[in-house]
Amino acid sequence: MMVDPQERSVGNPRIEVFFAHQRRQYEPGDRLAVRYVVEGCEGEMIRVIEHSVVWYTEGKGEEDLGVHFFERITDRGAVASAGRDGAFETTLPASPLSYEGLIVKVRWCVRVRLFFASGRDFVSEHVFLVGRIPPARLPPRGL
Amino acid sequence: MLPSPNPFATRYTRPGAMQPLDAAGRPVHAAEMLGRLDRLGGAAAIIGPHGSGKSTLLCRLADAVDAGGGTALRLRLRDGRDGGRVLLAMLRARAGSVVLLDGWETAGRIGGMLARTIARLRGCGLVVTAHGAVGLPMLVRCRTNVALLNAIVDRLPGRSEWYGRLIFPADVAETFAAHGGDIREALFALYDRYERRLRDEGRAGREGREADADGAGPGSGIQEIVGGFSCPGAPGRNLR
Repeated sequence: MMVDPQERSVGNPRIEVFFAHQRRQYEPGDRLAVRYVVEGCEGEMIRVIEHSVVWYTEGKGEEDLGVHFFERITDRGAVASAGRDGAFETTLPASPLSYEGLIVKVRWCVRVRLFFASGRDFVSEHVFLVGRIPPARLPPRGL
Repeated sequence: MLPSPNPFATRYTRPGAMQPLDAAGRPVHAAEMLGRLDRLGGAAAIIGPHGSGKSTLLCRLADAVDAGGGTALRLRLRDGRDGGRVLLAMLRARAGSVVLLDGWETAGRIGGMLARTIARLRGCGLVVTAHGAVGLPMLVRCRTNVALLNAIVDRLPGRSEWYGRLIFPADVAETFAAHGGDIREALFALYDRYERRLRDEGRAGREGREADADGAGPGSGIQEIVGGFSCPGAPGRNLR
């Protein structure tokens, strides 16, 4: 949902994610390992952190979504640490592969979500590629 | 290079992803509308033609109900077979919740009467979307104009990176006119124009590079062109 920044903004948080693979290009079965750094949350108490690896469709139709990996950190000590920087990893599945279609696209992304004690939350998404399917080409004009 | 998102994809334009705007392109204040719903007795209709923003507004009202501590029950009637499911959900609704029903006409006359009766008996508010008068007070009438479509386009992610390069002011006016003011269809048409021009741009760039490289092999089109702009879902985007 595109929300008003005024409604849910918390300071000026920013999450930088670092992928182990150059160019964020992975193959099915690869180990996806990421680490991240959280900035701009000084003075805000983080209550829960969620890490996930998901795929979703993007295009003209209804969106589809699959959660491949999910973990929720609620332990106070772990949250305090992961609220500054953290890491997680998972093995990527055989499918779906990233795809740049005309009507529909399949995207993979890493998400880090912070839930603040104030009740607000902040999500950071970072796209990466699985597989090497060439992007769809346009049909010749006139078809 | 990572792929670029299409800002006209439903991910960014579906009801719930966009903020509802009035005909002048200003944000609609859902809380004011809920106040009006109360004054109308708790049951009312959002009326307007296809693609005029009814579902977008309904979504926003549901969020406002939830944000205000109430309970919003979101229901959608796609066809007549959904009727039983919708009525059952209303029967199970918590007393005092607000039922937001998209696609009222699909319920038919008898289904509509049943839904109204159940809402009243359960003490629930009821907001429906419809294309014309449905025997409920009108909460708001949705209308469209090209200024509204322009305002929507202005708010799409990464605008500075594609407006004037892949999508032009004339595209907005043309697609609005071509689809009779149906904003949803106009956005789909803009999606197609964006895809075509992005690929055309990539092809042109590739051909230029091939010429420079004296016959180097073709690249992979779209992935060579744009590294993605800052928007929900784009590489490295921080969502709020």
